[in-house]
Amino acid sequence: MLAHTPCNVLVVDDASSDLTARAAAHAGASVISLANQLGAWGATQAGIRYAHRNGYRTVVTLDADGQHDPFQLPPLLAALRDSDANVIIGTCSERLSKAKRLAARYFRFITGIAVQDFTSGLRVYDRRAIRTLASREASLLDYQDLGVLMLLRKKGLVLKESPTRMSPRRSGGSRVFSSWRMVVRYMMHTTVLCFAQISARGRIGRRRAKAGA
Amino acid sequence: MTAAITAGIIGVLLAGTILFLVRRDHLHGSFALWWFAIAAAILILGLFPPVIDWLGSLTGIYYPPILPIVIGIGMILIRLLKMDVDRSRYERQMRRLTQKLAIIEQELRETRDELAKKRPAEFSDTPPAPRVVGGR
Repeated sequence: MLAHTPCNVLVVDDASSDLTARAAAHAGASVISLANQLGAWGATQAGIRYAHRNGYRTVVTLDADGQHDPFQLPPLLAALRDSDANVIIGTCSERLSKAKRLAARYFRFITGIAVQDFTSGLRVYDRRAIRTLASREASLLDYQDLGVLMLLRKKGLVLKESPTRMSPRRSGGSRVFSSWRMVVRYMMHTTVLCFAQISARGRIGRRRAKAGA
Repeated sequence: MTAAITAGIIGVLLAGTILFLVRRDHLHGSFALWWFAIAAAILILGLFPPVIDWLGSLTGIYYPPILPIVIGIGMILIRLLKMDVDRSRYERQMRRLTQKLAIIEQELRETRDELAKKRPAEFSDTPPAPRVVGGR
């Protein structure tokens, strides 16, 4: 990772018991180690807050399971630079199973967010997105998925997808799409989140309209 | 024993326990207030059963003895909801504190390393700074 990019690499260790953090520090990456396990989004947000505190203008998030290839970063960074988007989502359409596509269509129907690969952990955030995601408001989310996207859209940020290639996971599996029970739980959880956000968006929309008039 | 005495004993015991817990610093003031209100309600309803009949006719419940139970369950539900709201708040605080702690730990480590690089003479005879890498 370090060898292939000019970026500063930060590894977030979510209270893991293996030697990943030590290996990462040895390779020259900065490491922050969480004392309690906060889950995928809690760890990601820790990294985003680190970036916010240290004044970084762009954050790229990658999962550490070997899915995301550092070679894919330059085109994504270019996509952020060349468009008016605040967030670029790296989408790998080959990776998406039928169930995931169906879930994406369902969520597009209820939220209006037209994102194919909403669970992709490969994302590029600009400064405004970093500020939004470092806020308290984002701290009770659980996954880096629709909840994050809805929050960003609520704040008026522009989301775009960019095609990318991903390798199969080298270790571990999808936590959300591991069993039917988890899927049902995840779908219901996210649906409730969607409905809660829809009403919030309506309120803000109205306030903005008033300010415009 | 009549119902009035039973209710009286429960109410007084509850009030006494609450006072004891507050004195021992085991119960936060605002929670104590809620529990005192509950103890008072038990006392009033127990000592003056006609209050229940009056409340029953007021709310249109034809079998008044069920009323204290309905009210009780309602109170428990409100309390549970409030607890979940509070827990969400603590969860948010805990997550942010954990993140902040990790970030500051990293900064401290970095600063120490830089200092050691700048002034190796002063640091050479001190034992290496404890490094927290990996695990808790």
